[in-house]
Amino acid sequence: MLPNSSSDNATVAGNQTPSNWSPQQQTARMLALCEAQMEAATQDSDVAVDTLINSFSDLMNLVRELNAESNQNHSDTQTIKFASEEEMKQRYQTLMRQVNNAIMAFQFYDKLSQRLGHVRYSLSTLALFVCDRLNSQKPEHWDKLVTTLGRLYRTAEERAIFDSIAGTLAITPENEKPKPISQTAAPEGSIELF
Amino acid sequence: MPSVILAVDDSASMRQMVRFTLESAGYEVVQAADGVEALDYAKAGNADLVLTDVNMPRMDGITLVRELRNLNNYKGVPILVLTTEAGQDTKMQGKQAGATGWIVKPFNPEQLLATIQRVL
Repeated sequence: MLPNSSSDNATVAGNQTPSNWSPQQQTARMLALCEAQMEAATQDSDVAVDTLINSFSDLMNLVRELNAESNQNHSDTQTIKFASEEEMKQRYQTLMRQVNNAIMAFQFYDKLSQRLGHVRYSLSTLALFVCDRLNSQKPEHWDKLVTTLGRLYRTAEERAIFDSIAGTLAITPENEKPKPISQTAAPEGSIELF
Repeated sequence: MPSVILAVDDSASMRQMVRFTLESAGYEVVQAADGVEALDYAKAGNADLVLTDVNMPRMDGITLVRELRNLNNYKGVPILVLTTEAGQDTKMQGKQAGATGWIVKPFNPEQLLATIQRVL
């Protein structure tokens, strides 16, 4: 799993291992990272499902209104025609807005699958790592593990979670750590033409 | 004849959302589940625009962009990357590979269509 080269030790050469460092504490923090990921994914999914429910409720109301009107008997067809044209435009716009909201919300599933995949990989990698009694006692190997798993966290949200927790995991000096990606990541939905 | 858009994503739900959005606007959509499948289609047929994810099995989106730019009939075809990848480094890799633009998921249907119209 994790590379075990002599350069691993060089990463933290000369660093003092914090007095409160222990493999158990590191394991607990890695599990906290997974928990934070799952919590964020669940919250995002709840918001998306709420949006879907609202969109479908509005769509259903619109369909009911149209159905009720089509069953009414109109005496002045000319007046109804003009009213209908304006109303039709408004209803079309409402309908399209709700459909667009639903399309955006439906994308939560892709994001959820991806996040859970990262959590699954993190947990299985961590399980293998802690079973390696020799290397799991070495802070520099924990640093390597954090770096390896950190590559999984690619979206702005994921990076924000990772950066907030990973900062307490690695013992690499602050000035040697890469700049948190969450600070430079483009927001969701952004578009850039090159 | 409607423009043909090659939509590449390993997530079936994302492909459905993209297909629904694009077909509603009158485009013809061809789907591929990864870079290899997309490249096979590209070698056999022509698409007017390619919309690709980045993280996919077998061949990722950045490699696909690079491979497509090596094909004579895709040198001038717009290639938009649609991805959750938001980091500058990956975006720069996409730009260097020859991508036309970068869209961070989740996409807004109206904005996606406006972008496609702009680059086509």
